[in-house]
Amino acid sequence: MTTDRLEDLLRSTLRAEAKAAEDRIADLEERVLLEIEERRPRLLWHEWLRQLLAPTASSRFGQLVVVGATAAIFLFVGIGISSNLLRHDDAAPKLSLQPVRFADGTQEVLFVLPALNAENVAVVGNFNSWEETALSDQDGDGIWTASIPLPPGRYEYAFLIDGRWWGQDPQADDWVQSFGQFSSVRYIGRGGEDV
Amino acid sequence: MTPRKHCVLVMMASLIVTMALPSTAQIPLHEFEQALHSIPVAQVDSMLGAIELGLNQPDFPAESLLRLIDRMARRPAPAIEREAVLVVITQAIEEGLPIEGMVDKAFEGLARNVPMAQLEDGLRQLRTLLAEVRDLLYARGVFSAAPGTQSAVANVLPNTRFNLLVVHISEAIDDYLSGGGSPFEGHLLYQEVHERLVQLEGVILDSEDVALVLERIDPSDLTQVALTAVS
Amino acid sequence: MYRAQDEVSLLRASLQGDTAAWGEIIGRYKDAVFGLCLGFMRNRADAEDLSHDAFIRAYVNLRKYNLERKFSTWLFTIAANLCRNKLRYRRNHPTGEMPFHLQGGTDPAKVIQKEDQHALVQQAITKLPYSYRAPLVLRFYNDLSYREISEVLSIPEGTIKTRIHRGKIMLKALIEKERDPT
Repeated sequence: MTTDRLEDLLRSTLRAEAKAAEDRIADLEERVLLEIEERRPRLLWHEWLRQLLAPTASSRFGQLVVVGATAAIFLFVGIGISSNLLRHDDAAPKLSLQPVRFADGTQEVLFVLPALNAENVAVVGNFNSWEETALSDQDGDGIWTASIPLPPGRYEYAFLIDGRWWGQDPQADDWVQSFGQFSSVRYIGRGGEDV
Repeated sequence: MTPRKHCVLVMMASLIVTMALPSTAQIPLHEFEQALHSIPVAQVDSMLGAIELGLNQPDFPAESLLRLIDRMARRPAPAIEREAVLVVITQAIEEGLPIEGMVDKAFEGLARNVPMAQLEDGLRQLRTLLAEVRDLLYARGVFSAAPGTQSAVANVLPNTRFNLLVVHISEAIDDYLSGGGSPFEGHLLYQEVHERLVQLEGVILDSEDVALVLERIDPSDLTQVALTAVS
Repeated sequence: MYRAQDEVSLLRASLQGDTAAWGEIIGRYKDAVFGLCLGFMRNRADAEDLSHDAFIRAYVNLRKYNLERKFSTWLFTIAANLCRNKLRYRRNHPTGEMPFHLQGGTDPAKVIQKEDQHALVQQAITKLPYSYRAPLVLRFYNDLSYREISEVLSIPEGTIKTRIHRGKIMLKALIEKERDPT
């Protein structure tokens, strides 16, 4: 079989199988829009604000009222948001998304776990012989973190939350099971990137 | 004694000392003996014999094995059960299998408070997989060079690289089986192995090694290996 | 040119809550997204659910979409990530699902040669490991460039080329095995 023939076959097969199942998505638009409508109440205040901002065809006076009201709202909301942000900025840990990389490919890998009412959170894995490395939550916001330097490779781990095993880290690349419980897997690549 | 003879003697002496150095940098056998005694185990001699063999193998995880034995010693479980777990590992050493994965699995089992009998079963499964995968690679013409030798032949890999392949292929199958996967689904097994090797390619595995292995093994091979491990 | 502008104005309108505009977007992209999901998941029910989820997620996250970027790439990335997560979930929670080629129930006696060949290739595609299958689907169903595939799967372009190359070799071998299982 030539490469061209193979590619043609691959193409036509994928198209044929999608076509054969096209009835499945015949009314996809309706179903998606229905769900969006159902979720709408949560999005409603966005709509209200947006309508307030949209240019109206009414009189100048009406427009001035709208602009004034909008400005007032913005001021109010803006003050609220910025005071919130300022407060967070002082207290929040700087969760850097850029891992620190070393020359040999070792990276500082961030382990993060939201655990609001926990007293002790630790990570165990094949990088510490499954002995506990503690995470910390210095600002008490319930987000526990630890930064561990790891050379390139495959790492299996789990969290211990007040002694309870929690193996399904959403940040993980994969989950595996052993001894009937989950642990999480991360691949740390060369060149300092998560693979 | 002439200056020249003196030089030669000094050179020979240094050579002998340098050759002896690597073994003194290793963990001495008596530390393992002490650790085993603190459990205590009945088959000390045969276990130590295996560990001594291991200490002469390249890449032997001496430090973590010792730590495992210490951790086992602190474990409140019948000595005979703890010994049974460690024996699975020492037997693997005798068979010349790479044991890092087994030691790690044992640490994991201890961290999870898995009953000793279950840990023993889990390690047996992994040991069987390591042996079967090694045999499979040999059967498919992928070999490991004898330690200390080099090979220019593409399918004869340095020992370290060969063992890494054996470990990761075995662990991928082990994870699949532990997750409830059926050994009869050869293509699913193949996908698991494939996924793991491809993720580690260029990271801790050589690209050529991965390509070589994936070309030569097929789903039915892996079904055979998996069936042997679960039977 | 008109079409591209048209799309941008549809997206802007969607951002402002015009659901009819979003419906139009779905109409334009649903075949591509469904085909992607079907290619990845090898299962009609999953493909349908994930296509639905992809359009919901895209709508909810439309604010984060950078209008400078190609919309299709962004949308396909969302779909691919959803598929990846679902596959991971499926591996850890195996169901007793029917193999792909048996879905739809074609009477073997009535199968014409071309359909038969497709069924064979379908089986082979299903047996391909995900790492090879995903780039092949994006290339040969969605007609994406290597660059776009690299963005959608978050894998370096060089790796994509290797996987497509090896994927084709493996697919060929799988097809031949399906034809002649001896």
